[in-house]
Amino acid sequence: MTSPSTTTTVAEKPKPHVRIRGKDIPVVLPNRRDPRLRLSAIIFTLQFLGQSVLGFKLSIAQILVTILVCGLAEGVMTYRSAHMLVWPASGILTGNSISFILRASGTKHGDWWSLRGIQFFVLAAVVSLLAKHLIRPWRGKHLFNPSNIGIVATLLIIGPARVFPQYLWWGRYGSGPVLAAMAVILFGGYWVLKPVRMHAMVTAFLATFAVVVGIYALAGRNFVAIWHQGPISGMSYWVDIVCSPELLIFVFFMISDPQTAPKSPRGRLMFGVGTALVAAALLLPQSTEFGIKLSVLSSLTFTCALVPFIEGAVARRQARAAGTTPATMPARRRLTAAVLTPTVVAAAIIALAAPIDTSTLIGNKGVVNIERGLTGSRNPQ
Amino acid sequence: MTDTLIRPPVPSEPPPPPSPWRPGPVLAVIGVLVAALLGGNFLGWRDRFIGAPTAAPVAVASGRQATDGGATATSAAPSGATAKSVLRSNPWWQGVTTLQGTGSTTTAPVAIDPSALQFRATWTCQTGHLTVASNSRPRPFVDSSCPSNNVGYGVDKGSVTLKVTADGPWTIKIDQQIDVPLYEPPLPAMTSPGASVVAKGDFYRVDQVGQGTVTIYRLPSGTYALRLDDFFVTPNSDLEIRLSPLDAPKSTDQFANGPQSALVKALDVTAGALNFDIPPEVNVRQYHSVVLWCEVQHSAYAAASLS
Repeated sequence: MTSPSTTTTVAEKPKPHVRIRGKDIPVVLPNRRDPRLRLSAIIFTLQFLGQSVLGFKLSIAQILVTILVCGLAEGVMTYRSAHMLVWPASGILTGNSISFILRASGTKHGDWWSLRGIQFFVLAAVVSLLAKHLIRPWRGKHLFNPSNIGIVATLLIIGPARVFPQYLWWGRYGSGPVLAAMAVILFGGYWVLKPVRMHAMVTAFLATFAVVVGIYALAGRNFVAIWHQGPISGMSYWVDIVCSPELLIFVFFMISDPQTAPKSPRGRLMFGVGTALVAAALLLPQSTEFGIKLSVLSSLTFTCALVPFIEGAVARRQARAAGTTPATMPARRRLTAAVLTPTVVAAAIIALAAPIDTSTLIGNKGVVNIERGLTGSRNPQ
Repeated sequence: MTDTLIRPPVPSEPPPPPSPWRPGPVLAVIGVLVAALLGGNFLGWRDRFIGAPTAAPVAVASGRQATDGGATATSAAPSGATAKSVLRSNPWWQGVTTLQGTGSTTTAPVAIDPSALQFRATWTCQTGHLTVASNSRPRPFVDSSCPSNNVGYGVDKGSVTLKVTADGPWTIKIDQQIDVPLYEPPLPAMTSPGASVVAKGDFYRVDQVGQGTVTIYRLPSGTYALRLDDFFVTPNSDLEIRLSPLDAPKSTDQFANGPQSALVKALDVTAGALNFDIPPEVNVRQYHSVVLWCEVQHSAYAAASLS
């Protein structure tokens, strides 16, 4: 037998597509090497622990609806812009993150199918996706971490009477369920951060934050939390904030989003340290757990808006080191151009409003009463 | 020499790019701005439109009997010019007035506090038939043959006039149900010469929230009384104040399975400053803690170690 031809043709594997109204539409399915799948797996594992042994005041229905809204919105927006049906991995992750942190007042653990406060979850989902797809003032990419801005906006706009973030601690120190959750978070942190090379940024955040909050603890700062009798101060102040699973979730799985963090290693270090300093500055005057958690979350909203400036500073430094002069627009022209752009104005309002609005919680007696459990049967948490 | 220079045609300038400030983006920016103001509770917008974290401040009650028809500020109330509180108690009954008469009549106006949840009329009658209706609701809330006694309920507030139709003598005691904290002044015997503080403690959480101090007095008469100050416990209608021999009960199981406790009194008001006489058969010195106990839920709400 001889070969019929000396040329070889390799049959291309047909790309998946669907045919709708006579039009071929490419379909992009999930890729198992996608790091977002790892993160989703970690969050789903923690959700399972939360629903089973950690007593999360969150229903399965709230989780599913939030993920569904985010997934559908992401799919529709991507189809409109790219004319492809793309598996909404980011949307699902955003929905999962929102439902993991946001809580609707009055939801009871174990009430699996409760839709209580579902409108707040939907609001957070819509804000997240709108911010992601509409606020793209720099290099055509989104500026804010989607789930972060959705949660911060919902917590601030709806307020402590209706919503609250998941508690800093999910049980007693050293209890089995908390240890299991911590193990998942620490393993997940390593597993998720390694491929995206975010370890240095995370370490920079944690080290800076731990030192500053430690100084606050030594200076006698304290806060009240619904799950604790009396003010939390001293070593407990430091441990309950810095070592809390909720903070580790924020550090490992929220600020480390490669899409919204700086690209350069130096920029990432600056971003980590800067976010820690802003978070610490915002939480210093806060005397409630609600205020402290919102301070931490708002710090990221603020510093995400600084990423273009961080990247610019790093680029200028690199250019100076290389002996070249980067082409930059004069500052005045840049400002004029920015003011002329609605997305930049919107981004600036959001970036400034998050920390300013968070600061209005300082001394809010209503929030203090909530955290001290003095609101009785109408206690939102 | 004439100017023969022929000017080249001026190239037409490219049209300016369309302004990004179209109606859609403008509305979006306005939306972001409004959201930012709402998030900061600017001018109290968030509290007004979405809900405040706590109930509105209201004047606290001065006693178990309304002095001027409703809640009033007292010297025992929390500091502040208006002596108002955002705290709420479990709903409790405050006496308003007692009406008596014979035969049919329309009573003088009874002042029911505007914040009252409802009022009740505890009535007795001797002969014939008794009906009682309020001026705003013709349907009577008491309609019974006599002699008899019972309780009827109404939901009118403010100045309430009762229309009584009766064939004989009758008595109606009016109470209003309110949920404001009660700040009773200390009993006169607590501050009189010969009275002494024998024990004191601060409440801590067990299954629910509890705060404030408890003080046990030995009165000049030799009996004991208990006072709660700056007090709050998670509201419930079935709470009891009990004395326990345990030093510091930490859990419901520890209290329930521990030594026998002694009942001081049912706790109808769950916020404020309150006085309770300790039954004379209770030997106070045998007990080392106070527990707020809910028998229905079989739960220790809060406790205080006595020292």
